[in-house]
Amino acid sequence: MRRIGILICICLAALTASAAHTHVRLLLSADTAKPGDTIWAGVDMKMDAGWHTYWKNPGDSGIATTIKWDLPPGVTAGEIQWPLPEKIPPAEVTTYGYENEVMLLVPLTLATNLSPGPLVLKAAVSWLECEQQCVPGSTNVEATLNFGGETKPSADAAMIESWQSKLPKPTQGWPFRAWWEKATNDDTRPLIIELLPFSQKPSAKIDRADFFPDASDQFEVQAATESIPEVNAEFCIRKLVKKFSGDWPKEISGVLVEESGQTHSGFNVKIPISNQVPIKQSVSSITNQPSVLPAQPLWQMLLYAFIGGLILNLMPCVLPVIALKILGFVSEANSEPRRVRKLGLIYTLGVLLSFLALAAVVIGVKAAGHHAGWGMQFGSPVFIVCLTTLVTLVALNLFGIFEVTLGGRALDTAGGLASKHGAAGAFFNGVLATILATPCTAPFLGAALGFAFAQSASIIVLIFLFVGLGLSAPYVLLSWNPAWLKFLPKPGAWMEKFKIAMGFPMLATVVWLFNVAASSYGKNVLWLGIFLVVVAFAAWIFGEFFQRGRKHKTVAAIVTLTLLAVGYAFALEKQLDWRAPFVETASAGSLKESADGIDWQRWSPEAVAQARAAGKSILVDFTADWCLTCQVNKGTSIEISSVRAKLKEINAVALIGDYTHFPDAITTELNRYNRAGVPLVLVYPKNANAPPIVLPEVLTPNIVLNALNQAAQ
Amino acid sequence: MKKTLTLLAAMALAASTFAIEVGKTAPDFSGTDINGKTVKLSDYKGKIIVIESYNSDCPFCHNQYATGAMQELQKDLAAKGVVWLIVDSVNTKNFSYRTPEQARKEFADEKITATAWIDDNSGTIGHLYDMKTTPHMFVIAADGTLVYDGAIDNRPQPFGDPRTAKNYVSTAVDELIAGKPVAVSQTKPYGCAVHYAN
Repeated sequence: MRRIGILICICLAALTASAAHTHVRLLLSADTAKPGDTIWAGVDMKMDAGWHTYWKNPGDSGIATTIKWDLPPGVTAGEIQWPLPEKIPPAEVTTYGYENEVMLLVPLTLATNLSPGPLVLKAAVSWLECEQQCVPGSTNVEATLNFGGETKPSADAAMIESWQSKLPKPTQGWPFRAWWEKATNDDTRPLIIELLPFSQKPSAKIDRADFFPDASDQFEVQAATESIPEVNAEFCIRKLVKKFSGDWPKEISGVLVEESGQTHSGFNVKIPISNQVPIKQSVSSITNQPSVLPAQPLWQMLLYAFIGGLILNLMPCVLPVIALKILGFVSEANSEPRRVRKLGLIYTLGVLLSFLALAAVVIGVKAAGHHAGWGMQFGSPVFIVCLTTLVTLVALNLFGIFEVTLGGRALDTAGGLASKHGAAGAFFNGVLATILATPCTAPFLGAALGFAFAQSASIIVLIFLFVGLGLSAPYVLLSWNPAWLKFLPKPGAWMEKFKIAMGFPMLATVVWLFNVAASSYGKNVLWLGIFLVVVAFAAWIFGEFFQRGRKHKTVAAIVTLTLLAVGYAFALEKQLDWRAPFVETASAGSLKESADGIDWQRWSPEAVAQARAAGKSILVDFTADWCLTCQVNKGTSIEISSVRAKLKEINAVALIGDYTHFPDAITTELNRYNRAGVPLVLVYPKNANAPPIVLPEVLTPNIVLNALNQAAQ
Repeated sequence: MKKTLTLLAAMALAASTFAIEVGKTAPDFSGTDINGKTVKLSDYKGKIIVIESYNSDCPFCHNQYATGAMQELQKDLAAKGVVWLIVDSVNTKNFSYRTPEQARKEFADEKITATAWIDDNSGTIGHLYDMKTTPHMFVIAADGTLVYDGAIDNRPQPFGDPRTAKNYVSTAVDELIAGKPVAVSQTKPYGCAVHYAN
């Protein structure tokens, strides 16, 4: 007797061990259906306490439930509709699944030409059920649907409907935003998902939001969700995405979960991911917001862009070319005013097209994922060498060493000037003015460009165009109002002297560019100088013997070309290695400029955090070798005795951020203050909770001293 | 709820700071094997190393061993001079925990060929390598770089013959031996969750 008892026990034990902890049955929403109907099948899974099954994306471990249908001909099954799952701990291996009970819903469509008779619907359901351990389960279920003249709901229809209400809802047209944040790893990136407020928002205030991603072979959205407090959004969360292979996803799909009190609601979402951080339109209430960050409407920005363009005309790197333009006027004024107007428009066209090209480059670089900064083309040493050579040639031309159709051919008033020449000159003039203007960020321009760089491609194009219009405005005005030409001086011998005099600002520009090149080439920049001398010599040979000479013209041409070729090959390619210069390695420690100068430390977010933690005020100067405004600011308002004394008095830390080679960390920081480029000077107050004071682009000693005083309070 | 999520966030951040990365050096670790010996990853410098996150109670792991596929792979790779380390991170309170004695018996019964079976019940090595499932496989090149992190094969089923699937581990090892770059270096691991201590 005892033996049988033991046997029964063992059998029972075996049975319960292998028995599934999930009981599955198939329910239908209708007893009877007619051809063309779509009815709902509910695969009802009841799990024992403590056991769970998995969602379509199981998460860090587990396997999703699968349903394999065996249907009579004419009946087709759609995709499984999954009710909103739960997030199942622990944190290290988080999964998405169902406890207690879930009904997976599948739409079944009956064809219109279905033959009559009872329909036996079969399904093989496979799942993984886990508690402390995991057990795979599978079972076959079936249900019979009657074929009839009309649809008759079944007794289970109500239950199926209640489970349908647990399915995630659609979100057509909801204002979602998603963007990548800067990655710390090669294979993991933070992703921000945000929902902006909108009028048709159905549910109540959201306490917390979460996001359950769809499964993917290429990447995995990790389970942990970080809430970011954001006043201007319904919610803002950060998720980490790990990539296994392929490209980073361009859109994210899954289920958004909103918690309002005790209720959890699910919403199906598919959000495109942007590579750029969207600009916040109004001041956010987050602490550490800088104290100067006004909201700028578009028309104001465009106005600033236009005025900035106007001011660009006065920049030292542009002014000499203006003078050349005026010379051009003077000579044209004596010819038909209509032609002058046409040239004016062509000049404008040259400027606008150059700005459009710049806009396209900025958009392209941004699209390539790299932050763009105004003046960025100056970061390329190849570009600097080319520009230095070009400006040298312009200076030589102005000195009269050789002639070129640069629009400065004011003296060539001989009749028969092909309009083509004039047009080409006007066009090229416009392009040159644009190229030289770029690194000089004027005060108004700074704000406009800061706004533009974080915007969409179309707004970038608009802003650039308005800067171009500002730059070309004076010329257009003068060319369209022939009456004003009266006020221009009459041509004469003075013009030649003026032309030569304008060569000197050009030389000054060469020296400045040379200095910029020095930061890329170091001591080897000597070879660039030698190359320029060779070019100058070649220019003289060209001008003296080819242009002005009468015989041996071919020889002169050959000598010129040989000089240039040799100069290029030897100086640039061999000695300078101009296309791959070395980049100076950053040296640690103090960056004092002179014995009693300010004791600058290298800027980094950590250095700022350290100083704030120590309760010190901080002066931060973002500058670059090629930024003229920065150098002027430094000389007039920063490296002066009163500021040095004040810094010592308030025991402030001075941090310098060198943007010469466009380090990404500084681009991000500049973008945060809506600036596209340098200069940017910040003063962090002693009180670590107070936001930093953003100083204007053009500084005066008083501005700096007042800010430092304020910081010390 | 808020606390849990803050904790989750902190862990995510911590994970991201310390998480191992394919293409970088695999972090060194030290553990005790089921024979009581101290085993360090750096002991095997200069060899190709395969690390397996193990729990034979998990149906996915169990199927690999029940069909003999895993043992075949282990023997194959051992013949090629590959070091195979089993890391069992199941905590002591869990049903699936094996005492060193039980583990030694299982090692012999299942005819496992491995350089060492490390008892990682504290979960240190598991967390260091961000092991999520059993099985979760890692392949380390002879120079110490982690070249593969993910599933054992492309067939997440707890039944059937794994030999019919594409085995990412043997492919990666073959590519390493041939001096070729490892084509598939990361996949999503499948299996049951690792039963870490709470």
